[in-house]
Amino acid sequence: MKKYLLTRQELSQLLDRLAKETNLYAPVKDKTGATWGKVKNTAEVHLEEVNTREPAKGFIFPRCEVLLRFDQKGNALEPEPPEEQIVFGIRPCDARAIAFLEKFYTIEGKTDPYVKARREKTTFIGLACNRTAPTCFCLALGGSPHDATGMDLLLTDLGDLFLAEPLTAKGEKLIAGYPEAKNEHLTAGAKLRKKAEAEIPLRIDTAKLQEVLPKAFASKIWETLALNCVNCGACTFLCPTCHCFDVTDETVRGSTVRCRVWDSCQFTLYSRHASGHNPRLDPRARYRNRVMDKFYYTVEQAGVISCVGCGRCIIACPANIDIRTTVERLLKEFPEE
Amino acid sequence: MNNPYLPLPMRIERVVIENDARDLKTFDLAFVNDSDRKGFQFLPGQFAFLSIAGVGEAPFGIASAPHEPLIKFTVKRVGVFTTALHELEPGAIIGMRGPWGNFYPLELMTGRDVVIVSGGFSFTTLRATIAHLLLPENRQNFGKITAIYGARSPGELLYKDEIRQWEKSPDLQLVLCVDRLNGADWPKREGLVPNVLKEVAPPAANAIALVCGPPIMIKYTHPVLKDLGFKPDQIFLSLENRMKCGIGKCGHCNIGPKYVCKDGPVFSYSQLLNLPPEY
Repeated sequence: MKKYLLTRQELSQLLDRLAKETNLYAPVKDKTGATWGKVKNTAEVHLEEVNTREPAKGFIFPRCEVLLRFDQKGNALEPEPPEEQIVFGIRPCDARAIAFLEKFYTIEGKTDPYVKARREKTTFIGLACNRTAPTCFCLALGGSPHDATGMDLLLTDLGDLFLAEPLTAKGEKLIAGYPEAKNEHLTAGAKLRKKAEAEIPLRIDTAKLQEVLPKAFASKIWETLALNCVNCGACTFLCPTCHCFDVTDETVRGSTVRCRVWDSCQFTLYSRHASGHNPRLDPRARYRNRVMDKFYYTVEQAGVISCVGCGRCIIACPANIDIRTTVERLLKEFPEE
Repeated sequence: MNNPYLPLPMRIERVVIENDARDLKTFDLAFVNDSDRKGFQFLPGQFAFLSIAGVGEAPFGIASAPHEPLIKFTVKRVGVFTTALHELEPGAIIGMRGPWGNFYPLELMTGRDVVIVSGGFSFTTLRATIAHLLLPENRQNFGKITAIYGARSPGELLYKDEIRQWEKSPDLQLVLCVDRLNGADWPKREGLVPNVLKEVAPPAANAIALVCGPPIMIKYTHPVLKDLGFKPDQIFLSLENRMKCGIGKCGHCNIGPKYVCKDGPVFSYSQLLNLPPEY
């Protein structure tokens, strides 16, 4: 697809216009780095961090969302449809996760209408990573710091200029009228991509992982891998692809709503039956489920590994568990036959 | 918007207290809107969510057969939702969404004998199956039907009126048993379901076995079926797992890469051999 050029000032003007016309979200500064916030002008946008503390999944799958409202007679009513929103500054790992969620929530004819409607109303303007964090490992899983999967428009910061690659009609619309990039700009972008990719040394043989994981299920190795896990669930809440939710009714001042909220397979109650029987009572079984889900189950379900290598689970883990180490250990302990 | 989370309004027509402990009730539900009735097509083995505004929702196996006019659910009072449901009386409006999941392999059962093994209040979807198979237009499609149904005590057996009729039926061999008598007057068998199955010994040749019960009963039933000559692809089990959505999105009910709500609840034993024991 063709690529276009914007000056830094033109990008600011574009964002200022979008902030006036619609709901514009972007990384903003907070006490510990960057988080997602609704912005009124470009000055509020904070792109100094490699990534936001929270993933961008909440834009299509909010942490808490009203599924239904009930009237006084108990009749269930659907909520108002979501508003248009533009998300600026999403990184390639998070956008890849959006593509996964979109696929997962719409597979096999059983579509989640809430996620679908939100994705349709959302435009993702991505920003390629020219630098990476020590916890980044997108490249190991088929992604890249300059990957465009899941975005509507991808921007690459060339310094004074931004290279803009529209991926969808929504992206095309945003970039209409700007001049086309020349070869020298494309070369500069490719150079930055190569440099960023070189910063991520880890490689994982993902094809081999598909053979190893089913074999490793019953292994005692999980006792070692999950020894420190306290099942706090931080990894799952900060994971851009974790899709589990709980459904709960709330009544506030006589008004009743049915909400869904993020849930975590790391919690004891997550899989407990009404009878009290719990198929994953053991903390090790719960850690194993998370790893198996990311690297094996979602491949069976949606055809893709659902870890995008953003590294948030590594940063957030209070027990210093590193999912990269887990995967490397599994590959090492179960060599090819 | 075709919204799978939107419950259909249902009116409670009848409530039957099923057991001596009074913690099992059967709710017969009628559609409030006729158009919903037409759209609700299901087969024995499927389940649906029942919903009470402000309390929540929970999944239950559908205990009625497709030809029956009311949708039947038998619910044990164990938690917040089921307690709220147990307090409702005929005339109350609740919600229902579904049907979700797959069903017993009726096509595979055609032309074969059917062996039904059930324990406790898991009998619900197998009640639906028996009612479906005994319909005159369906009965001719199946061979000998044997049903072994056990409860803890005589007072815990569900659907007593129907059972009396089924016992007289020449179309069905119904074997009732209770775990222990504790002095109760009970002319029939005493013993655990797997042991009774061993005594009854239905032939495995050209038969399909449907099993539904608590995990402990399932665990001890399989070796008996195996000894009787049932192969893993002749045995079908209905599983339960915690679930919230019913459409394979919320994640709770996974067994390895499968979801009980979407890929089950009915699995063949040969399918389960390829899945981790997470149920």
